[in-house]
Amino acid sequence: MRALPEWLTDDRETAALATMLAPSSSSSLETLAAESRAMTLRRFGRTMTLYAPLYLSNYCSSGCAYCGFASDRKTPRHRLEADEIRLELAAMKKLGISDILLLTGERTAAADFDYLQQCVSLAAEEMQRVSIEAFPMSVGEYRTLADCGCTGITIYQETYNRERYEALHRWGPKKDFIDRLETPARALEGGIKSVGLGVLLGLSDPVEDALSLYRHVRHLGRTYWRAGMSVSFPRMRPQTGGYEPPFPVDDRLLARLIFAFRIALPDTELVLSTRESAAYRDGMAGLGITRMSIESRTTVGGYCESENEESKEKTDKGQFEIYDDRSAKEFCAALRSQNIEPVFKNWEPVYNGPSSSIKPEVESCL
Amino acid sequence: MDSLQLGTYTFSSRLILGTGKFSNSRIMLEAVKASGAQLVTVALRRFNREQAEDDLFGPLSALEGITLMPNTSGASTATEAIRAAHIARELSGSLFIKVEIHPNPQHLMPDPIETYEASRILAKEGFLVMPYIAADPVLAKRLEEVGCTSVMPLGSAIGSGQGLATSEMLNIIIRESGIPVIVDAGLRSPSEAAHAMEMGCEAVLVNSAVAAAGNPPEMAEAFAEAVAAGRKAFRAGLMHKSGSAVATSPLTSFLGTF
Amino acid sequence: MSQMITIELNGQQQSLPPGSTVSDLLSIISSDGKSMAVVVNEHIIRPEKRSTQILQEGDRVELLIFAGGG
Repeated sequence: MRALPEWLTDDRETAALATMLAPSSSSSLETLAAESRAMTLRRFGRTMTLYAPLYLSNYCSSGCAYCGFASDRKTPRHRLEADEIRLELAAMKKLGISDILLLTGERTAAADFDYLQQCVSLAAEEMQRVSIEAFPMSVGEYRTLADCGCTGITIYQETYNRERYEALHRWGPKKDFIDRLETPARALEGGIKSVGLGVLLGLSDPVEDALSLYRHVRHLGRTYWRAGMSVSFPRMRPQTGGYEPPFPVDDRLLARLIFAFRIALPDTELVLSTRESAAYRDGMAGLGITRMSIESRTTVGGYCESENEESKEKTDKGQFEIYDDRSAKEFCAALRSQNIEPVFKNWEPVYNGPSSSIKPEVESCL
Repeated sequence: MDSLQLGTYTFSSRLILGTGKFSNSRIMLEAVKASGAQLVTVALRRFNREQAEDDLFGPLSALEGITLMPNTSGASTATEAIRAAHIARELSGSLFIKVEIHPNPQHLMPDPIETYEASRILAKEGFLVMPYIAADPVLAKRLEEVGCTSVMPLGSAIGSGQGLATSEMLNIIIRESGIPVIVDAGLRSPSEAAHAMEMGCEAVLVNSAVAAAGNPPEMAEAFAEAVAAGRKAFRAGLMHKSGSAVATSPLTSFLGTF
Repeated sequence: MSQMITIELNGQQQSLPPGSTVSDLLSIISSDGKSMAVVVNEHIIRPEKRSTQILQEGDRVELLIFAGGG
């Protein structure tokens, strides 16, 4: 079994964050919120970057105990073909979306690397930014995707607690804790410009996981100093299969986590998805969160539903239940009422090539 | 023991002293002794037989525990700096080189392009390169990438005594650096040196503040104490500085009363 | 009588007997060259080579020491 890397357990820099997160912390939530809001305003202004997820396929080879798409679940499997993808993209564009996250399960014969690459190329024709949340790949595979216009990957460690991780990931390639841990570094090495990290809150002790996540962000930032970084806060929601999270995170703790991360990582994008309620998202906007998903469908495809009469997705269950199901229009109105500007596009696709980090050779002649 | 690691060298003192602007060599040497500094920077000058006592090599080498760090001040290009480095190494045997290239004699701001080029080449040749730079976080990472032993961002312009004017940028550099960050230039008072150490600098370099003080050896001693205090505080873990942000109406009321 | 040669020493003209070595030059300027770097036409002349390095007409010689500087 490969040893844990030193940076994962290095507690020299997490003192400040640990203090803010400790149950006995003297910092009231209101104080943290005020500071988080001030820092967000200073660094990000009054904006909210918006993106939408597109599930390309729900085939999966892994056996994650907590996921509706695990390979032993009875969920009907489907994958989008090129023509279907084009229709989904068109439907998404009509909603104003131009920043897309493509999702698949773990690597399978049905939805493999070649399939993903084709999807990335298709999406890159229509969208300003194309990120993926798929399966761990090699440096070479990431470079190929970067060349095809993929500018970001999201990969959650789920939990940084190795014992819990191994118990939860019962079979399949995802069982390898270290391989998953090293994935963001491989992506950056391959020229992907940004990575999104996170833990699935509920699986394990949230404070311990938060500290490890922070260390991961700092470690990557030191080595891949040109990289864009974001941190998400997915919180376990009820889903098909009925997994009960053993460490449930309540609203106040989630808020504390978000505020503390904003204070500890002033420049990092913090992301909240539609797993959270409309009221919660409205509340957190402007307090620390700078990026949110909208119009989410967690079923395969799904954006064409309203357009397509013979929709088969109606009986499908998504990976998790959406909580905030407001339309883009409604959501943007809510943001604007708080004086926050929704940002659908803040990038030009002409810049979507691999990261230009040219590392000069360093030899010592001594 | 909390020592400063630079290349293969280990130092217990985190105060580095510059040797310029002192009224005479005797005072300078007393200041060096009083400071406890183990790394001292010197410049290369043409030998002038009328001013033979300018030569510091002998007197400094006679002091115990001193390692010389020659600097390339006077150079305005990478080529000149590299030449100076070769000559300096020949003379001192020390692997340390402070790459200091400031073409404008008024503000003495370092040239980032010449500095990068000289550092890249000298690092390849095996020097322990300590580049003097503006507090530019990207330049600092690029210099780290080419093999520099440390980065030395300025606190403010040489001799200006404006202290840590670049502190916001210094914070970024310190946070992101994988090599020691040594603040150099512009410090005026020991408290500023302590502050730099509290921020996470691994060492500070001071010259004008000591040389131009009323009593340089005493001031050198004060700086030594301040540097040690600042480092100790950093290691002890300063309490979190809560912001002074105050909201007019409660921000978290939407969370209810859990 | 042998002609003196002229070299440039630290930017200034200096006369020397022909066949002078670097060591000879150092004696002329009353220095033992111990804590000095000697550069002749951009080549560093190490101490062990100074007694055999012969100076030619027009050579540019730099004698450098460590002096005070930040």
